[in-house]
Amino acid sequence: MIDDDAELPFFFGPRRELFGMYHASGGHPRKAVLLCPPLGQDQIRCHRLYRQLAQALVADGVAVLRFDYYGTGDSAGASADVDLARCIADTVLAAHELRTRSGAGRVTAFGARLGGNIGLGAASAAQLAGIVAWDPILDGHAYVTRLDAMQAAMGMDAQRFSQPRMVSDVSAQWLGFNVSDRLRHQLVELKLEASPVPLLVLDTIGQEIPRSLSVREAVIRSLQPPTPWDDLARLEMAILSHPLIQTVTGHVREAA
Amino acid sequence: MMQEQAFRFGRARHLVGIAGLPAAASDGVGVIVLNAGLVNRIGPFRLHVEMTRRLNARGYPTLRFDLSTLGDSGASQESRTRVEQVRADVDDAMSLLERQAGCSRFVLVGLCSGAQNAHSVACTEARVAGAVFLDGYAYRTLGYKLRYYLPRLIDPARWKRLLSRGAPKAAEKNAEPVFSVAPLPQAVVKADLASMLDRGLKLCLIYSGGISNYFNHQRQFGEQFGPLVKHPGIYTRFLKETDHTYILTGDRHRLLDSIEHWLGASFPVAHAGVQP
Repeated sequence: MIDDDAELPFFFGPRRELFGMYHASGGHPRKAVLLCPPLGQDQIRCHRLYRQLAQALVADGVAVLRFDYYGTGDSAGASADVDLARCIADTVLAAHELRTRSGAGRVTAFGARLGGNIGLGAASAAQLAGIVAWDPILDGHAYVTRLDAMQAAMGMDAQRFSQPRMVSDVSAQWLGFNVSDRLRHQLVELKLEASPVPLLVLDTIGQEIPRSLSVREAVIRSLQPPTPWDDLARLEMAILSHPLIQTVTGHVREAA
Repeated sequence: MMQEQAFRFGRARHLVGIAGLPAAASDGVGVIVLNAGLVNRIGPFRLHVEMTRRLNARGYPTLRFDLSTLGDSGASQESRTRVEQVRADVDDAMSLLERQAGCSRFVLVGLCSGAQNAHSVACTEARVAGAVFLDGYAYRTLGYKLRYYLPRLIDPARWKRLLSRGAPKAAEKNAEPVFSVAPLPQAVVKADLASMLDRGLKLCLIYSGGISNYFNHQRQFGEQFGPLVKHPGIYTRFLKETDHTYILTGDRHRLLDSIEHWLGASFPVAHAGVQP
């Protein structure tokens, strides 16, 4: 049984288009964490981990908001409507919603993959106190190239299809989701920029963090085990990591 | 624009679901979509979101929700078997949609384990008027084996490969099955389906090419379930080219076209829906 107020599903935003799940911590929390989801299949694969992380943070007295960007999850909009600028705007709205509901003055964001990049993009406008980015995308062009390659391989995958699929069947999509030209271009241009707020990068895939990222107060920490983000054979398997949950909760606990 | 509503509901307020409620009160059926495997209520690649919104636009109230302990739903803390728990959860879901939309009869939709759960509930629940079983129960029939093995037996290239390499080692075989549906005995499922049809339920069975390890032809519906597949209350379709979870958006559209068409023919809506 769940306390009525402990985990509240709701829609928010000016047109109530965004789905959120508020995890109340009880009392008057000083800290809150906004969980920014990754996009596409990564979001579905991370759903359980995000819920586990939210519950672990709540156990530490931290209020949490999980939410879906426009065009993703339970939020309004179609997958083809996903737009990186809109995701960042939604994150700013979500941070405001979390502050209003929790009363917490200090909001930290956590995001896996593109969720980390989106949190960084929203950091100033959302007045975030800090960001934890788990395997963020460092080079958007390389990321797009990899997604295209995985999509092409998926269409030929004999474990999935009885016959290889036509190019036209698999085009304009990435691993289950329609992709607009706009989003593709936005991602091609994406670079991990210097963070305006303290940034913790959690690396589980051995990415070479560029020197240009030697930004103010950035900390890079390696974690095991490696996360199989790009393994086509595990495309529909949940991503779980207790070390990650322990690291994030510890980081939030230690933050001033 | 129709807006969906989020609910925490159930006998222990442990369930989470999203209801799509068309503007006009429903005098017809409500559609309830069950989890596919361990994927949360949005469904594989957001299939359930696309499905429920399309059906809302046709005027059907819908609820996609997470069963106990899946997705965002918690445990009910009851001492029940999983089957009993699923039945109680779906009962809670039907009561919610009845309160919100006024419908008193329901169509259940389930993929893979969701089809199993829909089957289990449809066997006993009087409020269920229909069900969509996506990759539900299936059995390797003689026809399946002939279609599977014969082309391989007469393929010289295959023999050549086999003789030159030897049999594949155990480690080379896929030891990690991705999809599995613990089967009820074929005779039981056949009797269940016959009983559902006798009770007036409308059934839609759509199977994909993604379960080719036990289903490989439209004729297999008849091979495994007999003459009942010719009953006017049952619709069957084999989408050979698709995978199990409809990863390609065109395949999803074709699946949703089939479901929407079947629903419209089996449970017509008297009033027009609204565009979500």
